[in-house]
Amino acid sequence: NESAPQESESNQIVSCSKIHIPSNHLGGFNRSNANDGRLLSSSPGAGTGGTATGNNKPAPGPPEEQQTLLAVLQFLKKSKLAESAEILRREAGLPEDALDPKGTDASGSGPGLAAGSGQVDGVDASSLLSRVTVSSSAAAQAPKKAAAGEDQPDVSVVLSAYSQQGDPSLYDAYYSGLKRFIESVLDCHRAELSQLFYPLFVHMYLELVYNNNESVAKAFFEKFSGDQECYYEQDLRILSSLTKKEHMKGNETLLDFRTSKFVLRISRDSYQLLKRHLQERQNNQIWNIIQEHLYIDIFDGMPRSKSQIDAMSGSLAGEARREANKAKVFYGLLKEPEIELPLDDEDEEAENEEGKPKKKKPKKDSMGSKSKKQDPNAPLQTRIPLPELKDSDKLDKIMYMKESTKRIRLGSDNLPSICFYTFLNAYQGLTAVDVTDDSSLIAGGFADSTVRVWSVTPKKLRKVKSAADLNLIDKESDDVLERIMDEKTASELKILYGHSGPVYGISFSPDRNYLLSSSEDGTIRLWSLQTFTCLVGYKGHNYPVWDTQFSPYGYYFVSGGHDRVARLWATDHYQPLRIFAGHLADITCTRFHPNSNYVATGSSDRTIRLWDVLNGNCVRIFTGHKGPIHALAFSPNGKFLASGATDGRVLLWDIGHGLMVGELKGHTDTIYSLRFSRDGEILASGSMDNTVRLWDAMKAFDDLETDDFTAATGHIHLQDNSQELLLGTYMTKSTPVLHLHFTRRNLLLAAGAYNP
Amino acid sequence: MSAPKTIPKDAQVMIQILKDMGVTEYEPRVINQMLEFTYRYVTTIIEDAKIYATHAKKSSVDADDIKLAIQCRMDQSFTSPPPRDFLLEVARQKNQSPLPLIKPYTGPRLPPDRYCLTAPNYRLKSIQKKVAPSVGRISVPRLSVGAVSSRPTTPTLGTTSVQSVSTKVGAPVSLTGQRFTVQIPPPSQMTTTKTSKNQFFPLMSAGRCMRAAGSGCLGVNLYRVLGCSKQDSDTRSELTSCLSPQLHRPLQRCPTSSSTRL
Repeated sequence: NESAPQESESNQIVSCSKIHIPSNHLGGFNRSNANDGRLLSSSPGAGTGGTATGNNKPAPGPPEEQQTLLAVLQFLKKSKLAESAEILRREAGLPEDALDPKGTDASGSGPGLAAGSGQVDGVDASSLLSRVTVSSSAAAQAPKKAAAGEDQPDVSVVLSAYSQQGDPSLYDAYYSGLKRFIESVLDCHRAELSQLFYPLFVHMYLELVYNNNESVAKAFFEKFSGDQECYYEQDLRILSSLTKKEHMKGNETLLDFRTSKFVLRISRDSYQLLKRHLQERQNNQIWNIIQEHLYIDIFDGMPRSKSQIDAMSGSLAGEARREANKAKVFYGLLKEPEIELPLDDEDEEAENEEGKPKKKKPKKDSMGSKSKKQDPNAPLQTRIPLPELKDSDKLDKIMYMKESTKRIRLGSDNLPSICFYTFLNAYQGLTAVDVTDDSSLIAGGFADSTVRVWSVTPKKLRKVKSAADLNLIDKESDDVLERIMDEKTASELKILYGHSGPVYGISFSPDRNYLLSSSEDGTIRLWSLQTFTCLVGYKGHNYPVWDTQFSPYGYYFVSGGHDRVARLWATDHYQPLRIFAGHLADITCTRFHPNSNYVATGSSDRTIRLWDVLNGNCVRIFTGHKGPIHALAFSPNGKFLASGATDGRVLLWDIGHGLMVGELKGHTDTIYSLRFSRDGEILASGSMDNTVRLWDAMKAFDDLETDDFTAATGHIHLQDNSQELLLGTYMTKSTPVLHLHFTRRNLLLAAGAYNP
Repeated sequence: MSAPKTIPKDAQVMIQILKDMGVTEYEPRVINQMLEFTYRYVTTIIEDAKIYATHAKKSSVDADDIKLAIQCRMDQSFTSPPPRDFLLEVARQKNQSPLPLIKPYTGPRLPPDRYCLTAPNYRLKSIQKKVAPSVGRISVPRLSVGAVSSRPTTPTLGTTSVQSVSTKVGAPVSLTGQRFTVQIPPPSQMTTTKTSKNQFFPLMSAGRCMRAAGSGCLGVNLYRVLGCSKQDSDTRSELTSCLSPQLHRPLQRCPTSSSTRL
């Protein structure tokens, strides 16, 4: 049996043998003739149906299959599996030299993408099927990857995903038939099954376009696009401009949409209904499409209501699978180092943990752990390497604790005062703002590629003296830190030149020595705030970088941009340490978790992903926004995440369980800034509608039904209590709010550019 | 939008396109910019297509030529980010290596100098003419900002000169269009003034420009006082060596300057 030596070599070969399934072996699927050379003839999308047993006698049939075989052959050669390649060539009857690299444009199709299976239902082989990767270690990793990277198939050099599913002119009929069916089912199922409409519509339309049935596609579009949900309007508009196959090539997001599986969560009953209906019919083309392009995450339980579904849907790839949100996330905070306050401090008596009456322990804030035991939800101190505290950091911490004792406790009855910094004469050029943690400096990034730093306090900004001058100062004096500053350069404003494109992201380092700025020119620059010059330019993204942020402990920073990946950098490495890939569209917002072990990224594909810094895995996917996400904020206790998007809603997420726990409606335009107060009681949101709104975060997180059922099925029942949670709305004079910052004493600072 | 004056047809089409794509709010300049872009793009494509047609010895341009032209231009000017699968693969490889340990504090944590923007990005021109050394005199390059006239007296020796240099310069100089002169004050060095001037001036102006522009060079602080009791070439080499910025180790001295310490 010739499959045996193949199979014995490595896992990859197992996949190879399975590829040779001629189309008619797939149980029950009415594969049509013009098989466009797909690598995977229907690897099961929803865990049904099957990869038939390996049949390694392929019919060297239609040229499309030839291409598949050639691609496999090429892959084998690349992986240096010469014997298997030989065997394959012999069996498939391929000519000796038939190995020209097909590349991504074979047979004139667009970039080839295997209709990936990538799903996690334990079928390792099928997941391997889709991974025609080069390195042979990939095979060993693929099962692991199947668990971790469940929503992405790896691409290969093989061809694309849209074979003809039957007669194009019948698509109309199929779709209408499905519509009729869904309208006829019971109410409780209808909402769930209506989720099918949008992905089916898009995929059918794209298939028609891909196979050059332009007029049919247009008619199809016109007839059914109106039926779709309103929150898909943007996508539909983009689709409407896509009428030819060539148009599809340039659109990365759409390509990703085609290859990633759109995830739907449907209850078992509804699913059974649907399946029965579709399989009864003669031409179950729709069933085929569902198999290939949709991933139906079935759960047992009550079907969801329309409002529940609406709350969670809206993203480009459907919802998140349950498995995607199952990994353990250490959302607790790292322990604060023990620092002794100077004894002459006038603080109130502190707790004496060790029973030493002489020492005054620093007063920890309520979020810190008073016990010596490790918080089970907190990561280990050494989980990721963090820079150790310097003396200046310790001094900063002491300042921090002193200030925090003077912090105002906020609450629904005690709202913060808001101090608004308006940038005048910016002419819509203000694109990014950041404030230092101790609120002493404000930096603005502008569309004219400058970064400007202002001092908010009366203390001016000074540069360090030149080296020769520094030689002359008395290094032993107490105020050496003052002496190194050059008085001649004192000014309130410093302008930093260097970028060659608008500056879209700005972040101060926690020790106030550095400033990061990310720009449309694809670089991230590190500026020194002591000399006010540029130190490093980090190149990696070759496309606009929309956001960047320093880690709460300094040293690391994260950046996200148009190339759909977020990168983790360290200031002393010129290349990124981690690459977080997985989003389908650009990453518009990146934030570190307070314990610096996780990074949250919000994207134009309307999802938020939480990434683990340690190994780069995506540990949470949050869907529910209906527009690109522009604001993210972690609560100070690390348990919750708030997000704001262009749809004007603020959504609250429980990180530990991976669920949406709140929805705050009120804003009417894009929300660009979100910030929790220092103790987490108030959430402030600023938006393009020129208002700052304050929400009661304590109450929002107070009564959560996180029982097992909810956690298991991911159902949420959101109360519509936005009105109760809204504590105040503060209007500005036509100044969109770009940035919010709570000072250490809980005064709210806001910044924006006057835009009459 | 119906303005009293007639809008050209192209602009009307563009307005309609914007409306169809859902863009409702835009500045009026956008229409012009879009039209310009359209014109430029189309003409570029058509010109390319003409070239391809003549290359293929065809008498007229046909659809295939246009398609080819579009494809070539697409790869050139409208590059799109890498495909997702590639990114996933790259990410997988990158994420395999563990996070590097952080060395204890050794100064600012920056990449190796090669990857930083802290090196000087200029070089001094070589001066052939030798300068007679003036023993014991120290020439102090002074900047007088904005004033062309020469200053009558200039201190020459000792640390006091440092102070006076600094005091001569007032508020931070923002450079656009300011003239500054370098004066080498000591009259005994008149003969050498010219050459010294040439020597220092490019340094000063270049450095100043850099500092104002901040374009990637750690602004070399030009109030550095240089002792040059040696030959010019030595001075030059001192200059270049001293000017490798050591800003984060501020107390480290230039290797040669110790001998010429004021």
